[in-house]
Amino acid sequence: MTRSVIQPLESYRLAQYAVPVSCYICGSENTFDAEFCGHCSAPLALAHQAENQKIRPHMVAVVGGSAVGKTVYLGMLIDMLSRRPGTTQLLARGAFSITLQQTTLAALARCEFPEKTSNEPDLWNWVHCQVQRSGHRRRVELIMPDMAGDALLEEVDHPHSYRLIRAFLKKCTAAMVLIDAVKLMEGPGEQDYFTMKLVSYLGELDNDPKRGWCRRPVALVFTKADQCDECVADPAAFAKAHAGGLWRLCRERFQRHKFFAAGVAGACIWCQTRSKGRVQVPLRIEPHGVIEPFEWLLEEITG
Amino acid sequence: MRESKKKVILWITAAACLVNLALGWLLANTLIVSGGAVGLCYVVLQVVYRRRALRMKVTMPTTTDEVVVAARPVPACGSRQAVDPNDVEALVDQLLAQYRYPLLLRPQIIQNLTESQFRRALTALEEGMALVPDGEVALGRIDEAPYDGELDDRDPDESEVSVCTGQVVQVDRFFLDRYPVTNRQFYEFVAAGGYEKMSLWEESIWPAVLDFVDRAGAPGPRYWKDGCYLRGQGHHPVVGVSWHEAAAYARWVGKRLPTDAEWVKAGSWPVSLSATTRQQRKYPWGDTMDPTRANLWSSGAAGIVAVDRFAKGVSVGGVCQLVGNVWEWTSGDFHTGDRLAEEQVAETPLKNIRGGAFDTYFDHQATCLFPSGEQMLARKHNIGFRLAVGACDIVLACPATAPSAEDAGQTKVSVEEVAV
Repeated sequence: MTRSVIQPLESYRLAQYAVPVSCYICGSENTFDAEFCGHCSAPLALAHQAENQKIRPHMVAVVGGSAVGKTVYLGMLIDMLSRRPGTTQLLARGAFSITLQQTTLAALARCEFPEKTSNEPDLWNWVHCQVQRSGHRRRVELIMPDMAGDALLEEVDHPHSYRLIRAFLKKCTAAMVLIDAVKLMEGPGEQDYFTMKLVSYLGELDNDPKRGWCRRPVALVFTKADQCDECVADPAAFAKAHAGGLWRLCRERFQRHKFFAAGVAGACIWCQTRSKGRVQVPLRIEPHGVIEPFEWLLEEITG
Repeated sequence: MRESKKKVILWITAAACLVNLALGWLLANTLIVSGGAVGLCYVVLQVVYRRRALRMKVTMPTTTDEVVVAARPVPACGSRQAVDPNDVEALVDQLLAQYRYPLLLRPQIIQNLTESQFRRALTALEEGMALVPDGEVALGRIDEAPYDGELDDRDPDESEVSVCTGQVVQVDRFFLDRYPVTNRQFYEFVAAGGYEKMSLWEESIWPAVLDFVDRAGAPGPRYWKDGCYLRGQGHHPVVGVSWHEAAAYARWVGKRLPTDAEWVKAGSWPVSLSATTRQQRKYPWGDTMDPTRANLWSSGAAGIVAVDRFAKGVSVGGVCQLVGNVWEWTSGDFHTGDRLAEEQVAETPLKNIRGGAFDTYFDHQATCLFPSGEQMLARKHNIGFRLAVGACDIVLACPATAPSAEDAGQTKVSVEEVAV
């Protein structure tokens, strides 16, 4: 049996639906109620926020190889800046911006590192936040996604394989390039080569001499510095000694760059687990040098 | 460069505003005057903001490393003059000044002391160490935080009380340092040639002792310079010392590193509720974290502070800074077994550290029960130690009434031998 009901026609909703929404990252048009961009898979919440709040956030890329510590660094940075009032304070915009902080800190509190970020762009965590610095009246709006290292590697090796990464990096105002200090010190230079590839990729992405990557600030952060005292003492000297190629490339390609060292765990050990095999476990959480690169970038961005 | 440019622009703006004001006043034009006034206000605001930013920068938290670099090294901490080995009074004075009073209270030498010398040694013990009574302590999980928060057998009716029936260890009566060992105290060891007295060090570690040097290459803790701590840090806990350096110092002063059970007992102060259950505190002052009582990341302190700070965090027995400021070495081996339910694959053996440090991010990692581990040779910026001595190892009664060492079947040792 069918029943007829009277459904009022909310034409304003239809009208709203008919207006296409431009993706904030790649600029492609999408339907109003889509969650992710159909072209690049960026969350359309960013576009809605920008439209509703009439803001144009800066975009900052946190890039680096697989298992270099991008998720831990970004999650920790956001948590530190939002927990303790200091010279720089951070306020998340939108519930989705807190997910990364929540998952990372929950894992670290359990003395575990967070799960590896998926290669699927629609599963990446995005952070849209507002940064307030003492001595500056104007608040800075930032968008920082936690991109998968494998996806970045794929895009660098095979350009256009990840449309989102390319579109995002083109629009970025600044970047933090994360490098695993321990691997750099121990390994045969794999970290060095990957970071060099990434730096070359950035340089060629937008080589406009006035507005391209050569003029944009780039912070090169050695992660896991708690396991590498030499790196903490003088990051630039460490780069020169252990990543000579990268050091020279940065000097040639980026006019505004600086080396930093950061660590989140006080000490780590390897454990053999039944489910995941051999995994590294943080014994305690003692963040060092996490905020400094970010503050330097902010200073460079806002001038 | 950018800052200086900004300054120049600000000065030019200020000058232009003043000219506007003067011009407006001369021409009696309110529009020009108000324009000048608005501009001047902007300049003043900018100056105020800049000053505030500069002040914030000055008081901004700095890493320990920066603090160490910024501070100027103390050229000389002062060294003790050689004492005549036949002068017992002078030897006793020296031992007391070097914080080696437990040696004087050993049954082997107590018979050599006069009553006044004994009283002085006992006073030094009472001032420097707190007595922790014997009893049982649970080393299992007792609180609700992850990893140190699960009960093995919790009474559901007693959710407010931390009750535990985990691994229970019997602890004998002992004395524990009221404060972590300070730079000043450790200096006595360095100045007395502690790093050269190989009898104080385990034989297996002798090759590494040569590597225990400070920034200038002299024997001493890692962050010292020229064999001495930095100016103004005499009352800071000594850091940058390996487990072996802590153990060698302990031997020199006649103490030892506390066991994990002793450390936890001094902090959590267990009280038996029945034959099987006991109440233990999460923190020395109670079960709730209070950032005013311990120097942790959440307290907002910039780095390591003097050992007498955060006095509100004192334990029931009178032990200060068990939680926060610096991690403390204990004598126990670190095992992940019970905490992570996984098999540890460590290249080198780890020793337990407890109590958290100024940069410990999570409060639950600074509870009395939370153990972390560190390599025995590690000389970290936030790891120090405090020492213990068993009550049964020292004589607390006056020499006249105390049993003689010979009666107790022990060899009598002279003060000179101990001092040497």
